[in-house]
Amino acid sequence: MITFDLRAEYPGFRLEAAASWASPATALFGASGSGKTTILEALAGLRPEVNGRFEAGGIRLDEMEVHDREIGWVPQDASLFPHLTTRGNIEFAGRSNASEAAIDALELRPLLDRRATELSGGERQRVAVARALAAGPRLLLLDEPLAAVDRPMRARILPYLARIPAELGIPMLVVTHDPHEVHALASHVIVLDRGRVAAQGHPRDILASPAALGVLEALGAENLFEVKVLARAGGVLSLGTAKGSQLEMAAVAGFPEPSRVAVRAEDIMLMSSEPGLVSAQNVIPAEVAAIETLGEHMYVRLVAGEERWVAKVTARAVEKLELVAGKRAWMLVKAHAIHAFDAAGA
Amino acid sequence: MTLPETAGIALLTLRVALTATLIAGVPALALGYALARFRFPGKPLVQTVVALPMVLPPVAIGLALLECLSRRSPFGRACEALFGQTLLLTWWAAALASAVVAFPLITRAAEQAFAAVPLRLEHVARTLGCSGPGVFRRISLPLAARGLLYGTLFGFARALGEFGATSMVAGRIPGETETLALAIYGRIEMFREGEAWMLAGVSLLLALAPTAAAEIFLRRGER
Repeated sequence: MITFDLRAEYPGFRLEAAASWASPATALFGASGSGKTTILEALAGLRPEVNGRFEAGGIRLDEMEVHDREIGWVPQDASLFPHLTTRGNIEFAGRSNASEAAIDALELRPLLDRRATELSGGERQRVAVARALAAGPRLLLLDEPLAAVDRPMRARILPYLARIPAELGIPMLVVTHDPHEVHALASHVIVLDRGRVAAQGHPRDILASPAALGVLEALGAENLFEVKVLARAGGVLSLGTAKGSQLEMAAVAGFPEPSRVAVRAEDIMLMSSEPGLVSAQNVIPAEVAAIETLGEHMYVRLVAGEERWVAKVTARAVEKLELVAGKRAWMLVKAHAIHAFDAAGA
Repeated sequence: MTLPETAGIALLTLRVALTATLIAGVPALALGYALARFRFPGKPLVQTVVALPMVLPPVAIGLALLECLSRRSPFGRACEALFGQTLLLTWWAAALASAVVAFPLITRAAEQAFAAVPLRLEHVARTLGCSGPGVFRRISLPLAARGLLYGTLFGFARALGEFGATSMVAGRIPGETETLALAIYGRIEMFREGEAWMLAGVSLLLALAPTAAAEIFLRRGER
């Protein structure tokens, strides 16, 4: 069981976050500026201005010096020691069986004699993770481990990270603002919103809950789809989603083809009957699954084919369209309202 | 001027400059580290005082040293009690004068070299179980090594050529305190311009050799 209850006051930002979990793979999920990195650095012992408790396995870690905590910390930029080789970095904490296990788990054997300065972004990230693991930590902290890595490399590193808790028996806490990474890496998610824990639980339940909407909205990723480009014609990309739907997206010259796209909930227009000719390139028949009220706005959850959507409308619109669960509705989404979504931000 | 005479002057100069670098080096590196890494009250004042020998005329520094080393000061009396005489007019006085002048150069270079080591790397090392002295030895020192070496060499070169402060406290005693800079001045005074030029050439060699050695050493380290 790992528990923290942290507090700190910064100009214009207050951190007041408490959470506890037993899952070996946990994600700390939030938009930028929500305090994720601050929490991670506080857990490592690097934020003396943060007060509060931090316990792992019944041991009070907040009262310990940084070098006694046995917390593996991997900062966003990997921060390899530039004067050492891959092996020198990994064995920094001492030559041990843990080093060998980490080298194998992250498949670093061919890179052992390379200098840290000669490694690519993805390799650096893997070495940094192995270095933290080789010290035999009681908890591994990963700060946006894929943010500094390009997209194809992300897909290759993700499996390495995903198998750490099971293969090496070391629990990890991953900071991310990417819902996809949460699903891929964690069986427990802590949603952080402006310095407070908004919700925590299984990612499947939490990311679809009203508590996560604020974060997803800040990211512009309330609706997020894995896609493949099916065709390109007349400035429009035809995208097929992983679950078999089709979306039409405005092509942006010079940008790579998207592998994930996002649609803001507020960019979706709802109609109660099938529209005639409209300029919107996506007219999607759907069924209302639920309606949630959050502040002054209403979030209408819809199901279209296999895909789930959420649209943000006013209370007046819900009334006018007589929207209730089970009712049929048509979503109108402009080709320009579909954005390529990157792990580094929308 | 005979060859043994020239070699004697060169060797004495080396001995004075090396001793001065050793005397100034260790405290300068420590102070440079403290200035780069710690916040403490009076830090701007310390930085100002450290920079003083760089901006004061060396002769004025010599004057202050003269006061410190003479029988009138407690330090001077302590030296006299210890060695039977004050350090004035000995090669130790020359070394001390050079050390004072070299100190700010090494301190500034060390401060910049340590400040350039990313704090994050030291943090990572701490999370890997390294305590303060270990972090200094295994991260800060090796990563600052290039800047420290340059700073120390710079200080050494400054000590090699020190004239103003040295002439005040060490005089110009052939074989005892007559370093290259003092000897060049002396030869000019005696209208032996050719000898002065030859000694200037020796100075050039002495200054070039360590710089070249450092350059080669650092290049090799890069590979």
